[in-house]
Amino acid sequence: MEYIKIDKQAYKIHFIKTDKFKKVKIRINFKEKTTKEKVVYRNMLSLVLLEATKKFNTRRLLDIECENLYNIGVGAGTSNSGNYHLLRFNTTFLNEKYTEKGMMEESFKFFLEFIFNPNVIDGKFESQTFNNAKNILKEDIESYADNPGRFAFSRIYEIMCPNSVIKYRSTGYIEDLEKVTEENLYEYYKELLTNNEIDIFIIGNIDVKQMEKIIADNFNIDSIKHEQLAHIVKQDDFRTEPRIIKENKNINQSILILGSKLKDITEFERKYVLVLYNYILGGSADSKLFKEVREKNSLCYSISSTHSGIANLEFISAGIDKENYDKAVELIKAEIKNMEDGNFTEEDINQAKITFLASLKEIEDTANGIINIYEAHEYLDYDLLEERAKEIEKVTKEDIINVSKKMYLDTIYLLEGDKKDA
Amino acid sequence: MHKKEIKNLELTVYSEKLDNGLEIYIVPKDNVNNTYATYTTRYGGIHNDFIPANEKEMVTVPKGIAHFLEHKMFEQENGEDVFSFFSERGSDANANTNPRKTTYLFSGPNAFYENLEFLLSYVETPYFTDENVEKEKGIIEQEIKMYQDKPYSRMYNGILYNLFHNYPMKYPTIGTIESVNSITKEDLYKCYNTFYHPSNMFLVITGNVDPEKVIELVKKHEAKRNLKENNKIVLKEYDEPRDVANASEIISMDVTVPKTAIAYKFYIKDINMRKDKVYSAILNTLDLKLGTTSLFCEKLRNEGLITGSIDITGINADDFVIAVIDAETKEPEKVIKLIKEELKHIEIEEHELERRKRTGISDLVLVSDNIFRINNMLVNNIIVKGEIEYDPIGSIRETTIKEVEEVLKNIDFKNYTIFTVIPDKG
Repeated sequence: MEYIKIDKQAYKIHFIKTDKFKKVKIRINFKEKTTKEKVVYRNMLSLVLLEATKKFNTRRLLDIECENLYNIGVGAGTSNSGNYHLLRFNTTFLNEKYTEKGMMEESFKFFLEFIFNPNVIDGKFESQTFNNAKNILKEDIESYADNPGRFAFSRIYEIMCPNSVIKYRSTGYIEDLEKVTEENLYEYYKELLTNNEIDIFIIGNIDVKQMEKIIADNFNIDSIKHEQLAHIVKQDDFRTEPRIIKENKNINQSILILGSKLKDITEFERKYVLVLYNYILGGSADSKLFKEVREKNSLCYSISSTHSGIANLEFISAGIDKENYDKAVELIKAEIKNMEDGNFTEEDINQAKITFLASLKEIEDTANGIINIYEAHEYLDYDLLEERAKEIEKVTKEDIINVSKKMYLDTIYLLEGDKKDA
Repeated sequence: MHKKEIKNLELTVYSEKLDNGLEIYIVPKDNVNNTYATYTTRYGGIHNDFIPANEKEMVTVPKGIAHFLEHKMFEQENGEDVFSFFSERGSDANANTNPRKTTYLFSGPNAFYENLEFLLSYVETPYFTDENVEKEKGIIEQEIKMYQDKPYSRMYNGILYNLFHNYPMKYPTIGTIESVNSITKEDLYKCYNTFYHPSNMFLVITGNVDPEKVIELVKKHEAKRNLKENNKIVLKEYDEPRDVANASEIISMDVTVPKTAIAYKFYIKDINMRKDKVYSAILNTLDLKLGTTSLFCEKLRNEGLITGSIDITGINADDFVIAVIDAETKEPEKVIKLIKEELKHIEIEEHELERRKRTGISDLVLVSDNIFRINNMLVNNIIVKGEIEYDPIGSIRETTIKEVEEVLKNIDFKNYTIFTVIPDKG
């Protein structure tokens, strides 16, 4: 595997050349500082640009062309990345060895049409294209609460971080969507091409020179960008006693989330210690929480703990019967306390390390996994695979106890199921 | 050991059938770090009426027992935690049950042979007690409730319930809270002894392994069990009418946009063609007529009747093929009416079929690039077709428009059920 990074000032290209895969995968990221209103614009672009291009001006014609190009996959999505918001475009197509000569170039160019050749007429997005995209997003926003897990997490973000950009729902909000028009979306689109930081990741058995030329011929962007903001969101307002918030929803199973804020975490802790902490506490079917709450007490089907390094937050979530709320909270708190008191063994730590090392090897088997590693390296300065393997070995029991003491339990949230008929 | 290529996909299958009936299939791939192993019994949610091993009479066991058994296999007499064993070696372990099979699996880049031996051992040593059976009921009850909150899961279960009269796919694999609560230790042993015999099971291994070493290890391990190949298990046969049990149902749930589906029940026994070809012909046609490349879908989207797409899912049900067509829409009745009209006269053209073939072939190449997907494909082949398909690309290529027309001529769009989820008022 060979990694080549080319900084063109207006954009960066990351080539990862490997013969491991029969496909080529490309990801193009547009990144800028988040504001509430922009989330909607960026979601709209992720949909409207996939709806139609100038050349294939309906979704149907695009989908037919995708199938003709040996089922090339094209997608787009958005996500928060701490203080930033990412709009990602991605494509997967077969190496032309498995289709026909010339297909790599044709596929890549087709993918770029989505981004650079939108269905725009007279300085605005074509109405039908625009409306179809808007209908999708409207429905997505309106049905946000249909997925109880997603809804519960968005609520705890809103409760814990009322003044931070990370509380914004990934879809954006309906009042902002109402303000988006064919014209102002196109204005924003032009702004995005000029102002956003752009990273292009390409993995596969590729001809770097050929790919570079295709990019140079198609990327008519020359504005120079300077990174100014850190991705990581700092927390404040640390509570000594957690607040308890219960909300109702017409569902069978209640969702319990305990959210903590992390204070003064070091980079080493963020990248390595927290990973091991969570692995031991609630990262697998072998974890303390899983064994105690599910296996010993049969209180839930699912339970896990996770951290968001980028948001400085720690969560434990479980699906429970609301009658078991008190008992579940008590058991979970006892497990948190056990971590602080160092009631886990060197064996637990070694096991977590083995799992971490194995997951690094597994990442190497997937094209997406490898791109994720280089993306995190670029944005968050996370280490590459080899360094990660070395660094994780350095984590001690002391480190894990220390990090557990930097967690401030902030909110105990229960999305209470009040369905009677089940 | 037999060795056979899967044509045009750069995959080689090494296989062997042991004296006790266990089948082993291995596809080595040396450019990956990981290895994936699945141990499957041909036993799932639909197998609740059968003649137990060493008995003569047909019995009926509580619904949901295959899935319950799957959970309980993780219990070891010496108290050893199965998940710990695998995670100590940096591996992931899991299991899943569907209507036709139960699979135990692990994957990981380390200690493969040790893991494999452990997989075989724990799946081959049941340990059920009244106490551990009782304890599991609370966990499964939570799992059932989790699914009850998922609209698509409710819809799916509802459709299957309404489609069938007698065929056991009528009931969900997981069972109901009542049926699960009635399960006993004795039921579990009865099912285990019948369905977990090596003659009813197979191993599929894909990834960074040496086939000879795998077969040697499994042979040695299985020899210690001293089991002989068994006769085929006698399962109850169901007389399933061609019509549906219930033509429509509406439920209300905490959803924002209504979800609606029409599910067709196609009787295919009389079509003189391989079942998988019939299945593909039906699904490809529906996809061309209603999927994102169809004028129909474009019209519905432009009129704002749907925002996303119309999804089409197929289910193999022995003498029947089920096609579920579903959409999210604020006007469920209108959309269903339009779908029914659209399907009144269907024809497909040569170039449309060619496009579907291209898609199918490229999917297979992508599958062949991923040890998990290769493994799933082989398990599916064995469960659904009874054998591995060694030339899947050829099989797609040789499909003709005549064959598709033959299938379309012989299926009846009269038997369907409609299921709609509407938002509840509260």
